[in-house]
Amino acid sequence: MIDGGWIIDHLDVIFGRAVQHLYLSAIAVAVGFVISFALAVWSIRRRAVYGPIVGVAGILYTIPSLALFPILVGITGLSDLTAEVPLVLYSLLIFIRNIVAGFDGVPSEILEAANGIGYTRRDRFWQVEVPLAIPLIVAGIRLASVSTIGLVTITGILGDRFGGLGFFIFEGYRHGFPTELFTGGLASILLAILVDRLLVVAQRRLTPWTRTDRSAAGQTATDSARAAGA
Amino acid sequence: MSQAEPVAFDHVTKRYPGSGSSDGAVQNLSLEVPAGKICVLVGPSGCGKTTSLKMVNRLVEPTDGKVLVGGIDVMTRDVIELRRGIGYVIQQVGLFPHQTIGENVITVPRLMGWPKARQRERTDELLSLVGLDPAKYRDRYPSQLSGGERQRVGVARALAADPPILLMDEPFGAVDPIVRERLQNELLRLQEDLAKTILFVTHDIDEAIKMGDLVAVMQVGGHLAQFGPPDEILANPASEFVARFVGADRGLKRLSLSRVADLELRQPTTGTVGEDAAEARKRAWSDPFRYLLLVDAQRRPIGWVDERQIPKDGVLSESMAFSMSPLLNRRTTLKDALSMLLDADVQAGIVVDRSGAVLGLVTADMVAERMRETAGEASFPAVALEA
Repeated sequence: MIDGGWIIDHLDVIFGRAVQHLYLSAIAVAVGFVISFALAVWSIRRRAVYGPIVGVAGILYTIPSLALFPILVGITGLSDLTAEVPLVLYSLLIFIRNIVAGFDGVPSEILEAANGIGYTRRDRFWQVEVPLAIPLIVAGIRLASVSTIGLVTITGILGDRFGGLGFFIFEGYRHGFPTELFTGGLASILLAILVDRLLVVAQRRLTPWTRTDRSAAGQTATDSARAAGA
Repeated sequence: MSQAEPVAFDHVTKRYPGSGSSDGAVQNLSLEVPAGKICVLVGPSGCGKTTSLKMVNRLVEPTDGKVLVGGIDVMTRDVIELRRGIGYVIQQVGLFPHQTIGENVITVPRLMGWPKARQRERTDELLSLVGLDPAKYRDRYPSQLSGGERQRVGVARALAADPPILLMDEPFGAVDPIVRERLQNELLRLQEDLAKTILFVTHDIDEAIKMGDLVAVMQVGGHLAQFGPPDEILANPASEFVARFVGADRGLKRLSLSRVADLELRQPTTGTVGEDAAEARKRAWSDPFRYLLLVDAQRRPIGWVDERQIPKDGVLSESMAFSMSPLLNRRTTLKDALSMLLDADVQAGIVVDRSGAVLGLVTADMVAERMRETAGEASFPAVALEA
């Protein structure tokens, strides 16, 4: 049923589509992140806006993507913008919730210590709050990336110029050619897993302090022992 | 090193509008902490001691009145600059978990833009100061340290830019008693050299008595119940509340504030090994104690000799000593001295100098007498608390 020869013959095309897939995803995730970060920071400063922001993002999230892409064609034409706008909109809910949760998770005594020591508000934000929010922010980026990579396939509905690896799904479906359909689907899944793993590695690099907890348990006894011996 | 500055509260009031409870409020607080002294704010939870502390570095701003640091109203100063000039240590330590110990310690100098080389030098200096080996600790993260080690880092961080004032909010509250005692002693030792003005908050009256040059006892509702040196507060509690708060054992607590050196020692009748026994016997006879303290040629005590056991002729020998007393030195607290006396066969402690030679005797009566002399009128007699 699966024609391995077709896959080997089309490796270059598949690679090209994978690159396009990554490109469409990366732009959406990047733009979605920047917008969400600004909205999240606004929410933290002014708690009252958080509910409405999440409400709107939630409603956007419920719009069927299959409908949204064609509707946008009427407004923005057959451009990259038409593909990106829905991808960005769908990422907002995931991003905003995780970023806000990340900042909320910074212990209040740490913030007070920072104030008491003499951090300016801006220094405290960039040097204390952002680093401590990173684990949850990266968790949001992972979720949004995986979800966006899945969604990019649907941009294939806009025509052969779009879709990334989704192009093969649409084409395979049209021609009744399962090999192509499965290749598109499987490659898209592999891409999502790969990106997810890379982000895990990136997070470990960014947050070296989160890897040290295990060794701490063995150390807590040293103080009493030292005091007793003194 | 920067000069310590006095801190003063001038009719300071803090109200929290809208909240029915008076928790954390402060009512017309006036007190002065001279430069270089440790002032402990102590009281039950909700008495406003932490609020008072936070008004010094403006984490809380007073509703009324002024807080003066070095004679200047803190509200007139730039808040960031003010805070960088005041060391701050809090109970949960508040170390930044994402920064290494070295980065944590040097936070304030880094924010102030010190040159990198000077920062590195200062980091190692500070870690050594609080008893942590820089090479071992500099690059670790807070989660890899014990509670006591983290507290030390907290103190090092507060001292980083050599501020004239330290605020310490229950700094040793989260560690076990053995470590706490050690950290208290270390801070007192550091303070001998640093001579900072320290405001120290605790709910533990024993810690307050131990650490404070001055103690401010606060009462729920933010009233200052009493302010003075610890011995005065123990000897003359100003109110029923203070008497109850310092506890029924305040007499014993006072004992820990005085040392053997504060007493006028009684001189024992001594006899030296090898001395003529008849002479010694005569001396012992005239002593109301009827005991002779046998010492060696260097006046080091060997033990007590009963007057009746001294032979009519011959010389004094070591074997005549039948009993020994606890040995004290001039630094022994009266509390420890009394405890040793209660434990011993002979109710007199022998005070010796560094070479071990006899300086004199301390008896339980003398300790009691000393307490009576320095106590004021007992307007608020000690009450035994139920529960």
